[in-house]
Amino acid sequence: MIEAHAVTYRYPSADRDAVHEVGFALGLGEAVAVVGPNGSGKTTLLRLLLGVLQPQYGEVTLAQKRLSQWTRRELARLIGVVPQREDQLFPLEVGEAVLFGRYPHLGALGLPSARDRQAIQRALRLCDVAHLANRRVSTLSGGEWQRVRIARALAQEPRVLVLDEPTANLDVRHEMEVFELVADLVRNEGLGAIVVTHHVNLAARYADRVLVLDDGAVRATGCPDAVLTEHVLRDVFEWPVAMTEWSGVPQFVPLRRREVEGDARGADRALGREAERNGAD
Amino acid sequence: MSSRAGTVSLLALLLACGGEQGTVYRVDHAGHPVDVVAPATRIVSLSPSLTELLFAIGAGDRIVGRTRWGALPRAAEAVPSVGDGLSPNLETILAREPDVVVLYHTPTNAATIDRLRAVGVATLSVRMDRLEDVPEAARLLADVLGDLPGADTLADRFEVRLDSLRRRTVPSGSGPSVAILAWDAPPVVIGGGSFLSQLLELAGAHNVFADLDVPSATVSLESIAHRDPDVLLLVGGGEPTVLDRAEWRTVSAVEEGQILSLDGDSYSWPSLRSLDLVEELSGAIRGVRS
Amino acid sequence: MTRWLLLFSTALGTIVVGVAVGPSGLDLRSVVGGVLGSAGEPTVTIVRDLRVPRVLLAFLVGGSLGVTGAALQALVRNPLADPYLLGLSGGAGLGAVTAIALGAASPWAVPLAALVGSLGAIALVYRLALIAGAGLDVRVLLLAGVVIGAFAASLMGAIMALVPAPEVRNALLWLLGSFSRASWPAVLLFAVYAAVPLVILYRLARPLDLLTLGEEPAGYLGANVARTRRTLYVMASLLTAVAVALSGIIGFVGLIVPHAARFTWSRLHQTLLPATFLLGGSLMVIADAVARTAFAPLELPVGVVTALIGVPVFVALIRKWAA
Repeated sequence: MIEAHAVTYRYPSADRDAVHEVGFALGLGEAVAVVGPNGSGKTTLLRLLLGVLQPQYGEVTLAQKRLSQWTRRELARLIGVVPQREDQLFPLEVGEAVLFGRYPHLGALGLPSARDRQAIQRALRLCDVAHLANRRVSTLSGGEWQRVRIARALAQEPRVLVLDEPTANLDVRHEMEVFELVADLVRNEGLGAIVVTHHVNLAARYADRVLVLDDGAVRATGCPDAVLTEHVLRDVFEWPVAMTEWSGVPQFVPLRRREVEGDARGADRALGREAERNGAD
Repeated sequence: MSSRAGTVSLLALLLACGGEQGTVYRVDHAGHPVDVVAPATRIVSLSPSLTELLFAIGAGDRIVGRTRWGALPRAAEAVPSVGDGLSPNLETILAREPDVVVLYHTPTNAATIDRLRAVGVATLSVRMDRLEDVPEAARLLADVLGDLPGADTLADRFEVRLDSLRRRTVPSGSGPSVAILAWDAPPVVIGGGSFLSQLLELAGAHNVFADLDVPSATVSLESIAHRDPDVLLLVGGGEPTVLDRAEWRTVSAVEEGQILSLDGDSYSWPSLRSLDLVEELSGAIRGVRS
Repeated sequence: MTRWLLLFSTALGTIVVGVAVGPSGLDLRSVVGGVLGSAGEPTVTIVRDLRVPRVLLAFLVGGSLGVTGAALQALVRNPLADPYLLGLSGGAGLGAVTAIALGAASPWAVPLAALVGSLGAIALVYRLALIAGAGLDVRVLLLAGVVIGAFAASLMGAIMALVPAPEVRNALLWLLGSFSRASWPAVLLFAVYAAVPLVILYRLARPLDLLTLGEEPAGYLGANVARTRRTLYVMASLLTAVAVALSGIIGFVGLIVPHAARFTWSRLHQTLLPATFLLGGSLMVIADAVARTAFAPLELPVGVVTALIGVPVFVALIRKWAA
């Protein structure tokens, strides 16, 4: 669906590329996670994939058509984005906020049709926020607000969902709910999903493919097993890690200093304990 | 300073009497004590009306500084300008080394007065709104500045003439009704507190806004239309642009072209010559109505 | 539906009240007679040629200022924005004060000069904001507006310091705003001229909604942010420029009415803009009625009354909102 070939971008007055010769591909019905340390170019890559920035080299295509040939409205009907940050200038009601998701389908004037209302209701239901429809968004918890924003993206009836750090300030339960929701949508609705996240372990467990960015370039890409190795992660995140496993998916454990420096037995013990627990499953 | 004030008040007690010849003024119209040592030979005038009056009572040669505005007696043009009366240039005034600074009495001058007095300059605030203020001002100036023998005579003559003009005037209501317009958007009219209104009465006409005690006021166009003056008097110069405006045609005087335009400084402030205007005014009004 | 009926009848009601009151002290029967033409002169002239056009102009200007305020608040994403934020009032004031100082003869000289001044300021700010790219960077827009406005205001101050006192007073009176220039030609002129920007702004209602989310989210939901911003800025500024040319600078309406409408009505611009228009128009009619009758025959500057009404209303709104 979305493909990028060796895209390169440098911000004006920067002395190095933010994104350097990055290739990317996303099909429908699959979830791709984009991970990497701060400043590795994750958000820039997203902006390139969404047509906000134009690559200086390389090109991005959507459904085989160059991105520059799509209008913003057409893009909005195909791709639903949940950006990292947005303003809440005048507090809306949840129903109104999700209605914005239908705007790419609505004309300049004219009221929402039954079809539009249906799409909104469905989106609210899928994200389990239908009971919040009349609440002001300023009264929602972090998790609820996030689900509302996802509902808005769903109301666009897109084929692709793009989420930029969707769980940044959420607690465990809400974070898991978001990932579960995205996984369900990919599986049941056949959407494609791109998720930029800091949470490498969860990305490994939910994504079909993982793209690891480092310093603007692709460090590794492919299935989680292939990509999440101690070598790659230690290199990219510049921190000693130990690898373990959960349900057949590699998980990494960032090590404490004392677990690394000199206390080799301590490190083994730490790892040994994990292995025992896994074995108990 | 306090002992001097004490002496002054004592003198005030001893010498105070009514507005007749020989009055000694110890307090000016703003309520400030007069501390000028007569005869004052260096006068700065921050008001064109007072500049004119000073020339008229013979103190013209003592003026060392004046404001820019207004066409003044020829001789006044030779006097150096000290800038604007609204926010005067303190330095320029002080550079003229005045014995006294003469100002028009209005609340907006309070700050200027304070600043001048704070640096030790004597000030004199004089009221000049209505016709009767003119002889009073002449007497005040003559007394404070000293050595102006003709002033009292001029003042007396003015009062006598004013009195006779008043007795000659027919009671208002039978003459033409007039509205005096200083500005058109929003409409600013001259009220009963101005000498212009008095001149109008003396000319046998009647100011429809005489009930407003102030010299000028912003009113709604509707009030003018409602009070329906026979003649519209425009002061402040400029073409009568009101003729070209649709909303002004609701005033019947505009619709019928009964508009009089009065130019010149004689209509800008009261002076010893103001009473000369009465004839001119009544003639002009009669002319417009015919 | 009933809410719209209520709003419409309120608007109509204020218009009726505005025509019914005035410094002439006409009673209701005379006013009706004036409207119908059955009363004598000067009542008919006063009612038909003075009051009715004045009330209509006040309504149109008040409504336009409200709509402009709402649009600009979305454009610069700041609830404190008002129609004069972007340097416009400085330009208009400079034009008007210059015309007054030069003693311009034609009756349309001052409004025209104010309009030219506004357009100059608008063009300058626009040009400056384009430096940051075709998208009219909002921060640059704000800064440019403040700078141009301050520059124009200082020039105005310089002119006022150099002209005689009567001209200063006249300039100040103009700046404070008044509907004394209202006449049927003025009303028709404004109605015709304002129709275009108002319609265009209404058609931008949905992009306006999206703009409040921020530039990127708005783009993701299909808005052409750069073009929307440019159109918005130009239309809002032109509309305000004409309002100012005819009636001077009247504050508070553009700032407060959008908030009042959002609070009591809707934040979605498709309903917010019409509601703001009706509320703003009503407020202005009432303010003007108070301005010309409270101290009859004296007339207060209408900007003073809008401030006096606006501030307590705003405080009440803030309290409800904070509760």
